[in-house]
Amino acid sequence: MKPPLHQPTSLAEACELLDTLEETMVYGGGTAIQILIKQGVLFAGNLVDLSRVPGLAEIEETAEGLRVGPMTTLRRMETSEVVRRRVPLAAQTYGHVANPRVRNTASVGGNIAHGDYRLDPPTALLVLGARVELTSVRGTRTVPIRDFFVDFQVTAVEPGELITALHIPAAPAGNSSTFVKMSSLGENDWPAASVAAQVDAERRTLRLGLGALAHVPRYVEVPLDGGGVDAAVAAATAAVEPELDPIPDVRGSADYKRKLGLVATEDAVRRAWEEAR
Amino acid sequence: MTQTTPEPGVDTGVGSRRSRVGAAGKVLGQLRHVADRPHGGCAHVAVHRSTRPHARITSIDVSEAAALDGVEGVVTGADLYKVLGDRMFTGPAFSDQPPLAVDRVRYVGEPVVAVLARDVATAREAAELVYVEYEDLEPIYDVADALAERAFVHDALRPSVVFGDLRHLSGKTETNIAYQYNLKLGDPESAATQGTSVGFEFWAPPVHHVPIELPATIGWVEADRLELYSTTQTPSYVRQSVADMLGLPLSHVRIRVAPLGGSFGSKMYDRLEPLIAALAWLHRREVRMVASREEAFLLTTRHGAGVISSMSADADGNLTSAIADVRYDTGAYADVGPRITAKSGMIAAGPYKIPNVAIRSRCIYTNKPSAGPFRGFGVPQVTWSHETLIDELARARGEDPAGFRRRNLLREGDESYMGTVMHSADFVGCLDAVTEAIGWDKPLDRGSGRWRRGRGVAVGIKAVLTPTVANAVLQLNQDGSATLMISTVDMGQGSDTIMPQIVAEVLSMDAERIRVVAVDTDVTPYDTITAGSRSTYHTGNAVRGVAERMRERLVDLAAKRAGGSSRDLKLTADGVLNTASGEVYRISELIHEHFGARGATLTEEFNYTTSWQPYDKETGRSAKATEHWFAGAVAVQLLVDRWTGRVRVEHLVVAGDVGRAINPTLVEQQLAGSAIMGLGHALFDELVFDQGQMLNSTLLDYQLPSVKDLPGKLTPIIIESPHATGPFGAKGVGETGIIPIAPAVANAVRDAVGVRITRLPLSPERVLQAMDEAGVEK
Amino acid sequence: MKLIQLTVNGRRYDVPVDDDELLLDVLRDKIGAYSVREGCGVGACGACTVLVGGTSVSSCLARAVRYDGAELTTADGLPEDDAVVTAFVESRAMQCGYCIPGFVLMAHELLAENPQPDREQIVAHLEGNICRCGTYQEICRAVEVAAERRARA
Ligand SMILES: Cc1cc2nc3c(=O)[nH]c(=O)nc-3n(C[C@H](O)[C@H](O)[C@H](O)COP(=O)(O)OP(=O)(O)OC[C@H]3O[C@@H](n4cnc5c(N)ncnc54)[C@H](O)[C@@H]3O)c2cc1C
Ligand code: FES
Ligand code: FES
Repeated sequence: MKPPLHQPTSLAEACELLDTLEETMVYGGGTAIQILIKQGVLFAGNLVDLSRVPGLAEIEETAEGLRVGPMTTLRRMETSEVVRRRVPLAAQTYGHVANPRVRNTASVGGNIAHGDYRLDPPTALLVLGARVELTSVRGTRTVPIRDFFVDFQVTAVEPGELITALHIPAAPAGNSSTFVKMSSLGENDWPAASVAAQVDAERRTLRLGLGALAHVPRYVEVPLDGGGVDAAVAAATAAVEPELDPIPDVRGSADYKRKLGLVATEDAVRRAWEEAR
Repeated sequence: MTQTTPEPGVDTGVGSRRSRVGAAGKVLGQLRHVADRPHGGCAHVAVHRSTRPHARITSIDVSEAAALDGVEGVVTGADLYKVLGDRMFTGPAFSDQPPLAVDRVRYVGEPVVAVLARDVATAREAAELVYVEYEDLEPIYDVADALAERAFVHDALRPSVVFGDLRHLSGKTETNIAYQYNLKLGDPESAATQGTSVGFEFWAPPVHHVPIELPATIGWVEADRLELYSTTQTPSYVRQSVADMLGLPLSHVRIRVAPLGGSFGSKMYDRLEPLIAALAWLHRREVRMVASREEAFLLTTRHGAGVISSMSADADGNLTSAIADVRYDTGAYADVGPRITAKSGMIAAGPYKIPNVAIRSRCIYTNKPSAGPFRGFGVPQVTWSHETLIDELARARGEDPAGFRRRNLLREGDESYMGTVMHSADFVGCLDAVTEAIGWDKPLDRGSGRWRRGRGVAVGIKAVLTPTVANAVLQLNQDGSATLMISTVDMGQGSDTIMPQIVAEVLSMDAERIRVVAVDTDVTPYDTITAGSRSTYHTGNAVRGVAERMRERLVDLAAKRAGGSSRDLKLTADGVLNTASGEVYRISELIHEHFGARGATLTEEFNYTTSWQPYDKETGRSAKATEHWFAGAVAVQLLVDRWTGRVRVEHLVVAGDVGRAINPTLVEQQLAGSAIMGLGHALFDELVFDQGQMLNSTLLDYQLPSVKDLPGKLTPIIIESPHATGPFGAKGVGETGIIPIAPAVANAVRDAVGVRITRLPLSPERVLQAMDEAGVEK
Repeated sequence: MKLIQLTVNGRRYDVPVDDDELLLDVLRDKIGAYSVREGCGVGACGACTVLVGGTSVSSCLARAVRYDGAELTTADGLPEDDAVVTAFVESRAMQCGYCIPGFVLMAHELLAENPQPDREQIVAHLEGNICRCGTYQEICRAVEVAAERRARA
């Protein structure tokens, strides 16, 4: 039987539904859910749609950076002036997801909750050290994004919980960053490897977020000891290499994706370094 | 009564770039397609599909499906067999394909049970409630399995009644080879022992057409007649096929077609039509099925093909020998595979002068979805072989690949190794045009470091489908406008635009006043098919013929009116002119006077049929295997990323000899469009199977070229070497552009990084792997 | 079934819909907007594009109930003298034409956001629309022509 769609009009009501109904699933933008339904692999008893809950699609500027509501569309993350100003890496990365139509519908909350290992935005969020705010009838808790992706398509979201905000700290002044996405088939395809990279002003630390290169998005922090860009590339690829554990599929063998991951890492580090100059 | 004459300076005849018919309607999406037919009250069909590649059906339980609220009927293959018997097996070359599997399934995804229900969702839900038990048979996943002959896809071959030349195969058992074509000229084996030789094993994978419009068929019964409204390129074929299946006279089957949203060969022969026809007929109900994208992938594919081949040249650089063993994987049902096997096999050594040639081309059954026609009709797969070989042979001799080809290309009047003489196939002209446009003789900056640049070239040859039949009926309306009845289906190639141009040219009228009737087999006359780029030539000739008859008729009417001979009479834009007296008889007046009625119509018809000479049984040669040839060439310049293996095409030039361009804009669009499709095949397009299961049958996984995959620059070039009997010298162009793309790209990759890749597509992984294996430094 | 209100090309419709009915099916079957077409059903081809308050949406992934009260534009509702439409016609930006309405709406969205896009921005905006006939060059040109025309108007 097809699961009914509930459309709560307040956060409290949404939490209540998630708590009391059987086998609930939050319905964000629906772009992932609708495909699962089409493929006959959606296992949910009740869908709880957040589109009528007020206040979930706001982007607020905070002292630290941004607080983003879960129903904010990916497209707004790409185009919004405040996102571009405070967290340009996030804006850049969100702008690379799928195509403009999907970005117009897909939500920030649904994107990370989807938990797919190939998603682009987590790479940037890992680098930026974002935090995920989760709410349920039991209250609110915050999980660092670096602890959020637990296992293959498993996230830290517990039954009854929904994502109510994403806190994204702005990178301190002098940082520079970039996002590199490599597809192996059509240019517009999902990534076969993606890397977000950030170097701090002092060039002491390199932060890397890896997408599509293991069964979960991966975060790698690389301490630098003052060399030039070549040394940074060498340190980065050495640190990334053991983290690579790609899943073979129509987009390439594990071996090829591993190679691509290293090239993407190098490209990202060099570009971020360039930016910094 | 005034007659509209074309605005001065606006020519809409042959050679004009008149705008596509219905352009604004297309842009606004107002053009109606088959699936747009309103469907209140009809029954929707969904299909339960096989989960096994090869198995006997031991039991089918439909009770749960039948009990579901909203389900009207559940039909199995056995149910159909009870009513239709062996007539339920259809196909253009072999009568081997049932609309629903009977006793045995032969590929994963084969329809086993059909459900009729009040809406699509209910039908699909019910289809999932069907339970089938199977007893597995040994699966034949690929051509190698098939040729091992441990198991057989069909117990016996069943060629269809229509092809006399296949009759000897009837009832043949213990084989997976549906058809074999052999060509033998001279002594290629011993010729190959002298001079320089190269040889490889090639593979071109199965791919899919993916027209954006999904296949749809709607069927209903009106009294004792069956009507189908369907997305098909072959309405005349479908009428025959369905009439045969149901045992109805042709007059009792009507096929109507709306303009197609693309097809490229996918909407041909028996797709959804036999099933929908059978269900509509048995249930006396309007039934409708629009395939989902996943289902469309299963309906037909392009043949995966392996070629083991070699080519040799003597010390002077003349080709001496070519040998090719071609294997087309036709899947579980032959479809038109046997025809593809012969037509493409016969030119598997390319458009070259070669004195010694041996070709064996086989159409092989496997447990995969059936493969059928696809833009190029099997030729791109063999071109992949011969255009690689010739390139490598040139390199082995230290010669320029373009120059080497030029020396050996067939020219006007040459007899090809397969026996037919070349006419209006300007390979050299095409090659010259593309090499010139790409700057072949100019120095090339080969790049440095990570990115390396290279250039490649390839030529292509294809025979037009022969023999075929085309008919045209032209109705000249009393007001001087005209209605053209042909059974050519416009699927984007623009037949509705160019056929009126031919009429306009003959009758000196404005093409805007001529309307092509939507195909309706009750009205529009028989036409073999809209495919194989045959329509411009064949149907174009029928259209030209009918227009000429109409011209004679008008002159006759004018002569009657003038009370004398037609000697000084000439049809002009203003009417029939008496060149002696200067008097003009307007068409509207001539027709009005003739019938004594306004709004009357004058009708003419014309048939154009081509003939061929069957292949010689011993040699496979034929003095007339085809009515005409397509000639094309492609040159590309590209960059290879040596770190990732990614190929970026900087410039692609595609030239096609079209005889005469009836509408140059449309020709350029066909050339560019097929080049883009071909680039997909060269670089990433591929259907991936695992144990008979298609792995990438959604557009999330199956890759099509998007605007981001365009070459930096794309230059279509029209070559016109008029055909003696083409309408105004014209012939088709729909496939010319696609044929040489993949080898041109591979030859450029070879040029850039020194590796020769013989398996398509040239995915980055494959390129990188080849570089690793060859030890190319990065 | 819920009764929702949709404004499509300026006309109001009250339509009963099921929870899980797709906007695509509602527009085609209940409103007759046949320019909205299914090509892939998974957001990857753009044939089903509609504008919701000017924003492009894949109607194949959109549940109609969520669009109660929305203002929609479909290509068949555009005026014939629309700058984008005439630019497509004049640039010969169509072969079979099946994909074209989707491209036209994407172009509308782009030009509303960015009246003078360069080629790269055009390509980026159209990346998720597939034209299997391969009319991309003409389509990009049409968007440029439309931009020029709107700038002059
Ligand atoms: C054609 C296409 C191409 C794509 N290409 C890419 C690509 O290149 N790169 C990429 O990164 N992604 C790609 N995607 C995936 C896309 O990013 C996701 O589909 C999208 O981000 C999911 O967001 P949504 O809001 O639509 O999620 P939904 O479909 O609504 O939900 C997805 C999951 O998240 C849960 N969920 C939703 N909201 C919340 C919430 N607030 N709290 C808790 N759980 C929640 C749902 O229960 C569900 O499990 C592509 C998708 C499509 C259709
Ligand atoms: S049908 Fe919706 S994007 Fe393809
Ligand atoms: S014009 Fe045919 S798909 Fe675009």
